[in-house]
Amino acid sequence: MSSIDPFVERGPKATALSASAPMRRHQPRLWSGDRFQTGLFLWPTCLFLLVLTLFPFIYSVWLSLHFVRLTALHRKVWAGLDNYASLLTDQMFLAALRNTALLAVSSITVEVVLGFAVAKVFYELASRKWVNGLRSAYLVPMMITPISVGVIANYVFNPQLGVINQLLGAAGGSPVPWFGDPVWARISILLISVWQWTPFVAMLILAGLMSIRKDILEAARVDGARWWHILFRIEIPSVLPIIMLAVILRLIEVLRYFDVIYITTRGGPGDRTMVLTLFTYQQDFQYFQVGTGSAAAVVILILSIIVTTFAVRILRRIENA
Amino acid sequence: MRRSRISDVALLAAALFFTLISIAPLLWMALGAFKTTAEMIAIPPVWVPDFTYWSNFATLFTKYWPNIANSLIVTLGATLLAMILALPAAFALSTMRVRGRNAIADWILSTRMMPPIAAAAPLFILFSAVGLLGSLPAMVLAYAGFNLPFAIWVSMSFFRQVPKELIEAARLEGCSWFQVLTRVAIPLSLSGIATVATFVFIFAWNEFMLALFLSNRGSQTFPVVISSFIGTGRIYWDYIAAATVIQCLPPVLFAVFMQRHIVSGMTMGAVKD
Repeated sequence: MSSIDPFVERGPKATALSASAPMRRHQPRLWSGDRFQTGLFLWPTCLFLLVLTLFPFIYSVWLSLHFVRLTALHRKVWAGLDNYASLLTDQMFLAALRNTALLAVSSITVEVVLGFAVAKVFYELASRKWVNGLRSAYLVPMMITPISVGVIANYVFNPQLGVINQLLGAAGGSPVPWFGDPVWARISILLISVWQWTPFVAMLILAGLMSIRKDILEAARVDGARWWHILFRIEIPSVLPIIMLAVILRLIEVLRYFDVIYITTRGGPGDRTMVLTLFTYQQDFQYFQVGTGSAAAVVILILSIIVTTFAVRILRRIENA
Repeated sequence: MRRSRISDVALLAAALFFTLISIAPLLWMALGAFKTTAEMIAIPPVWVPDFTYWSNFATLFTKYWPNIANSLIVTLGATLLAMILALPAAFALSTMRVRGRNAIADWILSTRMMPPIAAAAPLFILFSAVGLLGSLPAMVLAYAGFNLPFAIWVSMSFFRQVPKELIEAARLEGCSWFQVLTRVAIPLSLSGIATVATFVFIFAWNEFMLALFLSNRGSQTFPVVISSFIGTGRIYWDYIAAATVIQCLPPVLFAVFMQRHIVSGMTMGAVKD
């Protein structure tokens, strides 16, 4: 990064160094001495961010240590870790934890494999101008409103009227119960999530493929490398960091996956598609059990912090590369 | 690159197939917006509707115009607030000398990754304590807050590309930092800033969960209204289809016109497309 902006990182220690460069003689006056202005630029924003994001997270931790209902906040009783203990015996919470993990593993695996295939197809066609139009259309699912994705899923997966069962019937298949069946409900959510997010993974991998230097590929071809050599020795290793990034960013999204499940299965049938976000939401705003809800929120928070630590590192590394 | 005609056709077929899978469900729903209630539940389905039938849109607009307006107000308000707060901070972090710059930047980036659900109950309590619960300003504040990290982080990458010589020259001419920001940095990164603002607009337009518990009957945004269409009672698929078209129009336009920026935007600028 220092190669792009040589000035910013310089603390008082570096002044001697910069002063030795004749061009930068006025630097101390030009680039600093404005504590007040710097503060004015940065502090309102940081304060806003503190109040609207950091404070709620900390307050969640505090609430999770109390027995408290949303409808009677003033009657707060210290609970210690009791809320967490009760989560461990709550079948719904354990199901939510399992389902979130299951959704993460299954959807991200499918998305990476499928995404690579899609990226490779678009990569091979990249020299054509009109392919840009196809790419725009292809990535529509990742941009459209998630709640609409859920609504569309309700429409096409509808057991009687839904177009998918109609098409299955026309092809001689038997109708599938989709959201109504314990197993199919999970498959439905997986399909929706894969439909929605494969474009994201594919476009990331495509960007990675495009950044492979052409001369390396040419050299390999001249040396007689076949397509599988190029695929396994050059392309896949080159996009591996990008795939890592995609996996991390997708993990973050899975941890906040809410809209689609809320509008389709609402966690059912039973607890088969319950996820952590929906569990937390229901505890907070349907049962008003803010203590339990906050304990679940803290679990999500901890998982997110673990994922985020990796994410920040990988983002910085890729950006600086 | 030499390739046979056959593999060319196969690649094209594959690309068309993937694209079709991507857009078919949305297109199918969009067709429904032009169907009558009866056509919507007909078996076998009506494949091609009468495109001169616009009554679903008309009904929806007359009945739910206040909610569409709520959505627009909240989205525009949040975008504006997020940009006003993000630009000076991004400029300070990218150009000015700030102690602990990297730590602050990392903290901002990590708040982007935090799941909003973990802040749900506290935000609800906070806004009800200050009497803002159920109001549009509450949603503007919350949406801006959760989009601020994105706006700051990506704006930083644009400000870093402003030539240092220009900033130095402006400072030598006696510009205050505020003038450097408004007269040098922002004009020079205008297209980048517009991209950031468009992203924030779409994120805010798509937001659902925050609106679900922050809004009341009068302040419901359009996504909340759409979610209420799918209930236990009778489901009016024709209206739902029209509502989906209205709701998805901005993001679809965004995908078409901003395609080049989407990858870098969704990875916080880490991956250049």
